[in-house]
Amino acid sequence: MTANTLRGTSEIQDCVRSNERVHVVGNGSKSALHPQSGGAALADVSALSGIVEYQPSEYTVTVRAGTPVAEIAAALAEQGQYLPFDPLLPDCATIGGTVASNLSGSRRYRYGGLRDFILGAAVVDGAGRAFRVGGKVVKNSAGFDLSKFLVGSLGQYAIMTELTFKVFPDVPRFRSLSFRYEQLDAALDAIATISGSAYELDALDLLPPPPANKGEQAQGWALMARLGGFAETLPQRAERFVESVKRETATMEVRELDEADELWNPLAGLRGAAVVKVVLSPRQVPALDAAIKRSQRRYGVGGNVAWVATDDLAALERALLDAGLRGLCLLGAVERPIIGAPVERQLSARVKQVLDPQRKLV
Amino acid sequence: MNRAIYDALETIYPAERILMRDAQLLPYESDALTAFNTKPGAVVIPLNEDEIIATVRLCHELDLPFVARGSGTSLSGGSLPIADGLVIGLNRLNRIKRLDPRQRIAVVEPGVVNLHISQAAQPYGLYYAPDPSSQSICTIGGNIAFNSGGAHCLKYGMTSNHVLGLKVVLADGAVTEFGGESLEGVGIGPDVIGLFIGSEGLFGIALEITVRLMPQPERYRTVLAAYDDLGCAGDAVSMVVASGLLPGAMEIMDRLAIKAAEASVNAGYPDAEALLIVELEGEAPQVEAEFEQLNGIIAESGAFETRVAQSEEERARIWKGRKSAFSAVGRLSPDYIVQDGVVPRSRLGEALLEINALKQNYGLDVANVFHAGDGNLHPLILYDGREPGALRKAEQLAGEILALCVALGGSITGEHGIGMEKRDYMPAMFSEEELDIMQALRRAIDPKEIANRGKMFPGGEAPALALQGMHPLEQQGVISRE
Ligand SMILES: Cc1cc2nc3c(=O)[nH]c(=O)nc-3n(C[C@H](O)[C@H](O)[C@H](O)COP(=O)(O)OP(=O)(O)OC[C@H]3O[C@@H](n4cnc5c(N)ncnc54)[C@H](O)[C@@H]3O)c2cc1C
Repeated sequence: MTANTLRGTSEIQDCVRSNERVHVVGNGSKSALHPQSGGAALADVSALSGIVEYQPSEYTVTVRAGTPVAEIAAALAEQGQYLPFDPLLPDCATIGGTVASNLSGSRRYRYGGLRDFILGAAVVDGAGRAFRVGGKVVKNSAGFDLSKFLVGSLGQYAIMTELTFKVFPDVPRFRSLSFRYEQLDAALDAIATISGSAYELDALDLLPPPPANKGEQAQGWALMARLGGFAETLPQRAERFVESVKRETATMEVRELDEADELWNPLAGLRGAAVVKVVLSPRQVPALDAAIKRSQRRYGVGGNVAWVATDDLAALERALLDAGLRGLCLLGAVERPIIGAPVERQLSARVKQVLDPQRKLV
Repeated sequence: MNRAIYDALETIYPAERILMRDAQLLPYESDALTAFNTKPGAVVIPLNEDEIIATVRLCHELDLPFVARGSGTSLSGGSLPIADGLVIGLNRLNRIKRLDPRQRIAVVEPGVVNLHISQAAQPYGLYYAPDPSSQSICTIGGNIAFNSGGAHCLKYGMTSNHVLGLKVVLADGAVTEFGGESLEGVGIGPDVIGLFIGSEGLFGIALEITVRLMPQPERYRTVLAAYDDLGCAGDAVSMVVASGLLPGAMEIMDRLAIKAAEASVNAGYPDAEALLIVELEGEAPQVEAEFEQLNGIIAESGAFETRVAQSEEERARIWKGRKSAFSAVGRLSPDYIVQDGVVPRSRLGEALLEINALKQNYGLDVANVFHAGDGNLHPLILYDGREPGALRKAEQLAGEILALCVALGGSITGEHGIGMEKRDYMPAMFSEEELDIMQALRRAIDPKEIANRGKMFPGGEAPALALQGMHPLEQQGVISRE
């Protein structure tokens, strides 16, 4: 396998033109996305790094695709802003890899996920053409929005060189709380009540009971909620929120959580041969959960994603197929990253035909 | 329309749902960009998705161009028929198939009117967020075609950000589904929802749409600030943004727009050069704290009068004036063009000065209404179509405004789309190669280019330009815009 460190658009174009198969990699933080690529040239874009343009007053930032997420987060934080989709793996991922694999974190609960904040991109497609898609302003509806299509495209349609995002002002302060429920059903009822209420949470994740030791009382499910806002209003908001959850749901216990670093990292503590993101709706949680009871897992974004660590990927795939769900393997040595129900092909195949007619990008 | 085509349509529709007589076709000859009109060959009225699919397949087979049509409120000529082509009228597919308050989603047919979703969700304390001013008549299908937005899209985004699942028939008859009920939408694999939305009816027809519903905010704080200088109102927006506040809406209207709104709905607006509406929304304690901060900013911004809505009624009145501004301008002028362009927010002031200079050069009146929070301008260019050459002049001015938007680093459309109106401005925003790629994509989906032929891309058959004011349905009293 040849590894090419590419520093600019023309080098990427050359790489695409002179190879039969090309596989893009940023920092390689998601091992499962880089299976043995069968002789494809590796296009390493991590050197394509840096912030191109940041205008806090416009709520927009344009960065090179290989820029570490952490670098962007730090630059935004200096101006009191953030990427509201809350990129996953903020310590090691590049922004391009984050877009290609569509990995938003727990805070996407508040305003939306990656697809909601991408505005435009510069790309090199499988035919070696360099061009722009989308725009650079927060609102633009001219032409087909191929920039959204790049979200989740796994480098198989075009190689991103530059990305523009919408950003928002961040909140100065947080409070995190945990509510305990004996059964999953009660926890899901609570999720429905809370997410249908006017309480505006930053994040809402659900953790299954830790495996109980012999003779110990079962721990129950922990529903973690995070509030963000002005320091002076947080105590009152938290109090109102807790009162309402106690009143409206069957919680057995309320705890204040320490805002530690890893608290809102959905992958924290997930250990297994493979770590997988599953997309689902709250309604689908019980059936999936029954099938993966022995795996370490966390339900994020109010039950709209599941993060699962497993030593038995085949069993997880069967469970996903049974439930009509799809998963994306992030970590681990896997044959192919997407498992479970097949992805849409009709429309995406036409895009492939246009952007990568020789099927070079793998 | 020839006999063979009619016979083929008759295999799908009973005669009463195939409209062919002149009087029947009249309401479909143009959309809300009334300067254009074209007579279609026929209009069909499907009642379910199977009929739509069969129709699209037939069109593909017979090489018959078609235009899907919701309520025909497009302001860019998007739903203008193709001469002798077919119009597929979707208004009868107006069922909300499922509304699940627990998961906060609704599954709807494409002809459902935007506002009807919020009305159906209201008993559960939920609503559908994107709120185009035309929301009481425009359909979700049309919203999808243009990625429509509204005054309240600053925080939670436009149509695209609220669609979780889509079932569509592509222009060559293939039926495909993507996304589902998860907030993540497609989530894994390329975001085809994002690609389909905003494709202006060129890719095919949306058959079933799953949208997310949001909880109604607990508290609104709606502030109306009056300025004797338009630039000051623009600066106030920058100050709000710089403060770190994230309002649900920030809108500006200039003197002429205010006058129109007053004449039309008696909003009770102060007499001013510019009005700024800022609305905060969210949890009561947070909103009250933000409101205090906002008051400080507005006080510093040089507003000569500030009003705060004290009741839901007062809030509604403030918004009524703003939301009726487009149609209200019809009271001031026999004809007008609604323009839609975007500039970076920090260059709003510059853009307004420039527009002012342009209108003086042209000797035309321009009323300005805009979504100031995201730099989306809606200049309304007033003209009298009975004066020879007036429409041309107005169009030229509109063109210069668009060129200005591009020059300032913005876009030729924020939410109304390219349609027929802005085809020729596409090269100002995209390179030849970028346009080629978009065209190639279009042909990969629609090899015969039958879906909305002649729209979005430069060139193509030019339709007749006509000089008339109101939408034909309005003239007949079938629809109104308030
Ligand atoms: C007074 C007034 C105020 C307005 N305010 C706003 C505003 O605030 N924000 C805004 O964004 N727009 C606004 N508009 C523009 C217009 O209302 C929107 O573009 C709206 O989305 C069009 O909906 P419609 O049902 O009327 O669509 P139509 O005009 O019937 O069709 C529009 C386009 O959608 C396509 N289409 C229709 N149904 C489907 C379908 N099922 N699948 C695929 N394509 C389809 C058509 O082919 C056409 O290209 C306004 C218009 C008016 C007249």
